Amino acid sequence: MSFKIATIADAETAAGFALAGVQDVYIHERKEETLAKLDELLTSKDVGIVFITYRVAEELGFEFKRRIRTKKLLPVVLRIPDKTGWVPKVDELQEIIRRTVGAEIIVKGGS
Amino acid sequence: MSTDRIIQFELARLNAHLPEQRITLKDALSSSSPQVVAKDGSKHKFERVELEYLSKIVHADDWDKLRLPILIAVNPKLGRGAAEISGEVEVKVISQVLGKECRGQEIVIYRPEIAVVRAKLPTTTQYFFMVG
Amino acid sequence: MAKAIGIAPTRMELLKLRQRATLAQKGHDLLHEKMDALVIEFFEIVRKIGVVRTKTMQQLSSAYRSLSTCFAVQGTIETYQAAKEAKKGIEVDISTRHVMGILVPVIEAKPIERHALTRGYGVYLTSPVLDEASREFEKALGDLIKLAELEEGAREIALELEKTKRRVNALEYVILPSLKSMVKFISMRLDEMERENFSRLKRIKAMLEGRE
Repeated sequence: MSFKIATIADAETAAGFALAGVQDVYIHERKEETLAKLDELLTSKDVGIVFITYRVAEELGFEFKRRIRTKKLLPVVLRIPDKTGWVPKVDELQEIIRRTVGAEIIVKGGS
Repeated sequence: MSTDRIIQFELARLNAHLPEQRITLKDALSSSSPQVVAKDGSKHKFERVELEYLSKIVHADDWDKLRLPILIAVNPKLGRGAAEISGEVEVKVISQVLGKECRGQEIVIYRPEIAVVRAKLPTTTQYFFMVG
Repeated sequence: MAKAIGIAPTRMELLKLRQRATLAQKGHDLLHEKMDALVIEFFEIVRKIGVVRTKTMQQLSSAYRSLSTCFAVQGTIETYQAAKEAKKGIEVDISTRHVMGILVPVIEAKPIERHALTRGYGVYLTSPVLDEASREFEKALGDLIKLAELEEGAREIALELEKTKRRVNALEYVILPSLKSMVKFISMRLDEMERENFSRLKRIKAMLEGRE
């Protein structure tokens, strides 16, 4: 089945993705509005992937994490670095590994 | 007892991913969208890369004898970490992947070998849990 | 103890308990195998993520750099204008693959590489830096799509792994020991009752024989 891609980011990042042909680019300004947009994307039937920058996700905080935990299989949500390359201290995948396997296994290529 | 029901439920679920009918390598290679349908109706696609690899290591005469996905049969009686592969052509395939010399109708492989097989053929092999 | 849990110490109950213990043991062993299998899948996908992440981050950095260049050379307004006018419509094909009771996404990018003319941001605005930025982001998008597929897959497998682990532990540390001790208790109680019965019969027999 065919799906669209969406992006939630700062203006510059959004421009980059728009240049690459991404249909739905949303520029983050205020928390409530961005969360509303995220909800819209999460319930849409034709969005397959949502790219959101680490910075914006961090700003949305717990509300973001909660939605990710409770969402359906689609759309897939991936956090990406913006041009500053900022990433949160705790790597989510690292956390999952630690919880699941109970050991410290470093994922290479850490972003 | 409700725990019994939970156990039965989990056991029934163990093989839900397996297809109703397997297809031969021959049919898969000639299909434009090689896949099988699982017991719950969902589709499972075979990666072309894996099919091409299989076509190279399996003799053309045997293409209609190899049924996909190849089943990695887990039987607790074999002990933890062991699984069985059955079928002459299937055994030849697995021994090629593992780089071992094996003949016969069935072989037992162990966890590190299972990992190698799953990494090489992720969509054309599937686990089969022997519940009976 | 049997009275407290409401199970009568009869042979029938003992048989039922033994059957339940066998089922629990079978469930435990098979779920343990499933857990081991999921760990193999999990490690493989994490390994792939390591490889793809490195490549993706490098490509993204490159894309951001070329975008900066574009802003500098082409101008901010022009770049945003081109972004607005760029031909949209990138799509992905998403299907699923089964991994032991869970569905994992399989995402395929529909070919993304586009040419300057089809990018659609007004031929008169075309410039090498704009093209370069678009190209770099197109490449990055391809990598990101692959990464999205892998990370979502890893998350699903991890969830199933945790669930399975909880079941295995419940069976191993709570249910099986409890069933086994109940079997033991009822078995002992039945033996005791049988011994009492036996000696009672002996006494009755002795009494009857004494009478004669």
